[in-house]
Amino acid sequence: MKQLLDSDMELVVESDFIYIPLLFDPEIEREIQGFQSGKPLESPGKPELKSIIKFKGKHFIKALNLHSFIDNYEAIDSYSFQRLRNECLRKYQLTRKVNGHFLDETLRAILFQITPYFIKKNKGLNRKKISDEEILDLIGEKTDIPEKYYKEAKTFGDLKPLKKFLEGLRNQKPLFKMPENGLHSGRKLRDWIHKAIQAKILANEHHRIAKSLQVREQFRQAKPEHIAVLLYIADTGAMEIDGFGFTMNNAYNGEYLIYKRTGDYILKDYYARSYLFPDCRVAVSTYSPSMPFVMEKYKHPFLLGHKSGQEICMKTFAPSNEFKAENVIRTLEVGLTAMRYGYNGRKRNGYHSLDKMWVHIPTIDFEDYRI
Amino acid sequence: MTDTEVKKTLEIDEAEKLLPLVLEIIPGHAAEGLIDIYEPGNYEGKSLRKLCDRTLNKKNLSIEEQLIVEDVNRQLKGGKLLSRGQEIEGTALEYAVSEQTEAGEKYLYVPIRAIKPQEGGKGLFIVDS
Repeated sequence: MKQLLDSDMELVVESDFIYIPLLFDPEIEREIQGFQSGKPLESPGKPELKSIIKFKGKHFIKALNLHSFIDNYEAIDSYSFQRLRNECLRKYQLTRKVNGHFLDETLRAILFQITPYFIKKNKGLNRKKISDEEILDLIGEKTDIPEKYYKEAKTFGDLKPLKKFLEGLRNQKPLFKMPENGLHSGRKLRDWIHKAIQAKILANEHHRIAKSLQVREQFRQAKPEHIAVLLYIADTGAMEIDGFGFTMNNAYNGEYLIYKRTGDYILKDYYARSYLFPDCRVAVSTYSPSMPFVMEKYKHPFLLGHKSGQEICMKTFAPSNEFKAENVIRTLEVGLTAMRYGYNGRKRNGYHSLDKMWVHIPTIDFEDYRI
Repeated sequence: MTDTEVKKTLEIDEAEKLLPLVLEIIPGHAAEGLIDIYEPGNYEGKSLRKLCDRTLNKKNLSIEEQLIVEDVNRQLKGGKLLSRGQEIEGTALEYAVSEQTEAGEKYLYVPIRAIKPQEGGKGLFIVDS
């Protein structure tokens, strides 16, 4: 049936049933002579539903009921159904991710409380506190946001289609208009079927639509450029400006890793020789904020091994377990300060010493960083 | 060259020594700090530390500036003022670089960070080999 619907073959719709062309076969020809009684069907729409009908000189056989096809489409072709569903939710910006992100308090705290601390907000010598809108302007300026998010922002801001749909549901209007009886090309019928399925999908998602409208009402006054920034962040789950950034934590849904880059820096050993350390990202998780750690595979006197995700070993620091912007800022700063300024070559504090002092015990070697 | 390694290099010529001096005292690893501008004749011969103290003790600060000062003072409890990776000593000119505004006005700029030290790791046990 799928092949027929993907073709330009002409199909007949008669009283909500699809009739497909009957292939010519002498046996069938004889057989249908028995079925045929009375005049050929010239004007469709008659209530009597025969298994075989004749329309404009051609025979068509009853194949399937449109209602039943639409109702059971998910079971018939679940892959195609999922694609249609995703396309439909995407078209109206109804993905759970988008609504979730727009109301996500964690993301709001990162964007509007933590980010301003770590990024340069003012041009020249001006120093003033900037508003949430100005933060979004700044992110828009400093991030290369693809054009599609600006287009999607317009859809997001247009509440009319969803409001109209919800109203229709409330008034119990039929979800879709059945195709008229008569000849239709396979493709035209397929397009109609897809629209009907998407209308059913939307009807099943009416709770989500209602919630989404609620969210969009809140952002009604927002500039489309700001919506585009938020949609971009919702989609990518990440952002980086001036060496500060965050990325979605894959291990915990809805949680983030917030980081700040150290930049290249130099530490000195016992003999005041310099070692150039490469840039790395010092991060803290929003999921139960704990000790700061280094995201990359990295080695440092305060890291036990040479691998990624290692906690920075620090004296007398107990991170708060409560997620608050100021706690995250403090934890990140403590981690950055420890990495850049915390090593004392004379004390050789840390798991490892920059200069080789362990003659017989294998430890991390920093000779390759020597300058 | 990283800021840890930058020595007190003078990237300014004699004529530029007559420019206004802009100090920015930044708390911790923040991107922006408290800005103070010294006109020529008001900063020469004074130590950078003294200029910083004067800036941090200014009275006519806005609420935002007061919050930055609080943050700087919090970092300075046991902390240090660093410029270009090292503890400040000497005069401002030793740390200044020449910059200009969007309008093309030149000035000397000295960024200073207030960093509260965070010692890392545990002391190593010296193994007598």
